[in-house]
Amino acid sequence: MKMLEVKNLCKRFGSNEVLKGVDLALNKGEVLSIIGSSGGGKTTLLRCLNFLEKADSGEILVGGKSVYHAVDGQKPVVSAEAQLSFGLVFQQFNLFPQYSVLGNLMLAPKLRAKRKSTEGPRETAEQIAARAQKLLETVGLTDKANAYPCELSGGQQQRVAIARALMLEPDILCFDEPTSALDPELTGEVLKVIRSLKDSERTMIIVTHEMEFARHVSDCVIFMADGVIEEEGTPEEVFDRPKSEKTRAFLSKTC
Amino acid sequence: MNFWSITLDLLVGFGETLKIFGVTLALALPLGLIIAFGSMAKFKPLSALTRGIVWVVRGTPLMLQLIVVYYGPGIVFGTPIFSAYSATYITFTVNYACYFSEIYRGGIQSITKGQYEAGQVLGMTKSETFFKVILLQVVKRIIPPMSNEIITLVKDTSLARIITYYELIYFAQRYIKNGGILWPLFYTAVYYLVFTALLTVFFRWLEKKLDYFKA
Repeated sequence: MKMLEVKNLCKRFGSNEVLKGVDLALNKGEVLSIIGSSGGGKTTLLRCLNFLEKADSGEILVGGKSVYHAVDGQKPVVSAEAQLSFGLVFQQFNLFPQYSVLGNLMLAPKLRAKRKSTEGPRETAEQIAARAQKLLETVGLTDKANAYPCELSGGQQQRVAIARALMLEPDILCFDEPTSALDPELTGEVLKVIRSLKDSERTMIIVTHEMEFARHVSDCVIFMADGVIEEEGTPEEVFDRPKSEKTRAFLSKTC
Repeated sequence: MNFWSITLDLLVGFGETLKIFGVTLALALPLGLIIAFGSMAKFKPLSALTRGIVWVVRGTPLMLQLIVVYYGPGIVFGTPIFSAYSATYITFTVNYACYFSEIYRGGIQSITKGQYEAGQVLGMTKSETFFKVILLQVVKRIIPPMSNEIITLVKDTSLARIITYYELIYFAQRYIKNGGILWPLFYTAVYYLVFTALLTVFFRWLEKKLDYFKA
């Protein structure tokens, strides 16, 4: 069974068709990279998967269960667990400035524990704090637990954002150009963290302009152009033996 | 009529002034937030209505509003509805809530979309995101304009005198009427100045207190 299946996803902004029927499937533990020039629909696809945009039509299944189903012109059917099936790391980090690093990690899980009324024991504040400490270790920021976002470098902020997303234990973790807002010398530390997540069998989707990174971290690469998947395959297939003329043109410009 | 007895008498008058100040703040701060949401509502008739009310309230003198609220019902229904106290509190609250609402609106709209989106993808509800993430950032940003409005309120309280609310200025004017003593009226300035100085110190402290993060 596939971890994620996306079927015929379409999205329009006014008369501008940004996604023209996107299909994809991903196994548990696989890493998918999405490349392509801006305006190709990469970010919109990621935003639709995280429900920041509502796809006009199409279906999203997680672990075989439909979490989002939309038919043109009708109100989409969204399941309760849809949002937390996905996590998203933003290009601009979007940390909460008034909370410490630890506070950023713990806010949403604490609120969730407070809200949760049925099935299973609530997570206690101590348990949440313990998980947060552990994730800070994973991203190498134990010593910054009590720092505020404004005291951190961009690379550190993005690592906090990754840990914050992992606190909710999403089935699929998405990255929207996670290193595009960083100084070149800071991208390495973020990419290293993402690579370490791959080793721990995280299912991930990464929109990126870092071609070398995409080649090494991905199980599967998608090249998007004009709202469709122009080419998909293993990194070797897409980067070394691209079939599509558009892919070749794009890669010759960036690599 | 020595200096100290007049000082104490004016202090009682200033207590009445502070009542207007306190009641207005306590009610207008939350009401302003509600009005701000009204003017930002996606439901067009609601936002149009709210903006219309804000326009009227901000577009007419507070003094005129006091007179209309206090004397208006008596003229229309033949019998007054509000005492000077309630007319003052109602008018000041609505008036300041409208000004506050525009400050809130500016503050809320200046927060980047990314903060709301981060809340959403972390599974937080809209109200959780607003109260736990957005609000404090808004507060930090609106302290300077808010402190301006609040300091203006201290002095605007003197307008209530014209609908027979006996506040500080009224207390001082009685000395002119009853004994031809003018200086207590000038002396009232000290009360306003001391109080606004305290407020200034408070707002500076609050600003410092929220200095630990950038938003």
